[in-house]
Amino acid sequence: MSDEIRTMLALALVFAPLSLLSIGGGAALLAEIEHQSVTIHAWTTQREFADLFAISRAAPGPGTMLSTLIGWKVAGLAGALTATVALYLPSSLLVYGAARLWSRWRGSVWHTAVERGLAPIAAGLILSGGIAVLRVSPGGPAVWAAAVASTALILRWPGLHPLALFAIGGALFGLADATGLW
Amino acid sequence: MAEVKEAGAQRAARIKLPAIFAAFFRLGITSFGGGTAGWLYREIVERRHWIDDREFLSAAALGRLVPGSGGVNLTVQVGHHLRGGPGALAAVFGLLSGPLAIVLALAVGYTRIGQSAALDAVLDGVAAAAIGLTFATGLKLVQFKVARAGPLAITLATALCVGVLRWPMIPVVFGLAPISIGLARLNRRGRNV
Repeated sequence: MSDEIRTMLALALVFAPLSLLSIGGGAALLAEIEHQSVTIHAWTTQREFADLFAISRAAPGPGTMLSTLIGWKVAGLAGALTATVALYLPSSLLVYGAARLWSRWRGSVWHTAVERGLAPIAAGLILSGGIAVLRVSPGGPAVWAAAVASTALILRWPGLHPLALFAIGGALFGLADATGLW
Repeated sequence: MAEVKEAGAQRAARIKLPAIFAAFFRLGITSFGGGTAGWLYREIVERRHWIDDREFLSAAALGRLVPGSGGVNLTVQVGHHLRGGPGALAAVFGLLSGPLAIVLALAVGYTRIGQSAALDAVLDGVAAAAIGLTFATGLKLVQFKVARAGPLAITLATALCVGVLRWPMIPVVFGLAPISIGLARLNRRGRNV
């Protein structure tokens, strides 16, 4: 087996199972993706992971493009496509099949209980994702403070365009670096 | 449900695959910040009237319940609803192809510039804002979905185990899910009595 195929296989084996375990959406996966990419497979350094995360969030789309970028970092375009398909195909097939059962069970007590029971876990996983990225971010206390500030801004003004916030964050940190504030 | 499906089929007959692809492509390249469901509601329900509120809510709930990106799951269901399997494929490819190209272009740009202190600083700032967006999403879910003590404890336990203690996500989810679902079931029963 050539190295290339082995790398593709490794990418698929990391992201395909995550696809089926990402309850609560892509953000819930951040903690696990960071662990797999940085600690287990050493596909990226902490610095690169933090940068790829920032790039993935600055681009439009469903927000799970981080896997695409890690695939790209490891094995170029083929790696990007492999990681993307591995992350989206299994869950898409599952939801496709589940859509029929869902309408059949609609209104049953267990149906409601499962839906409501998973909501707080999903919320906890999303918060974990934020914590995981904060932890690997090499920016230090400034990043923590800015993350808290932007959380407050979004909660206070939900209509605030995320891109505007990203631009403000990038500009402030760029300026601080240029003027030698830290 | 039967009428809904029939109405859906009638609408579907008018909507061509390229139109589905185009609508979701537009959705993909304009939905910044990850909240695809919100952007999808504006584009597909309010603007184009391809599905109604009830169909949207049902699909959004299932999209959240089933593993995977909620936005992609929602897209699979809407595409399927509009035009069956080919519709689902057209919708998902439409949604993902634009962002894929954009994110790779950004990544190539990042490599060209290389590792520089200035670029790292700018990306730190962007990441901080993006982390804020992630926290805000999680906190919004806490606020609206889990205002009571039991579910709140489940949310905190999940964040503590996975986020702070760095336990593997899978066993944590499988351990907490039965407790949380049981709590929701009991709560429901209590309210009915």
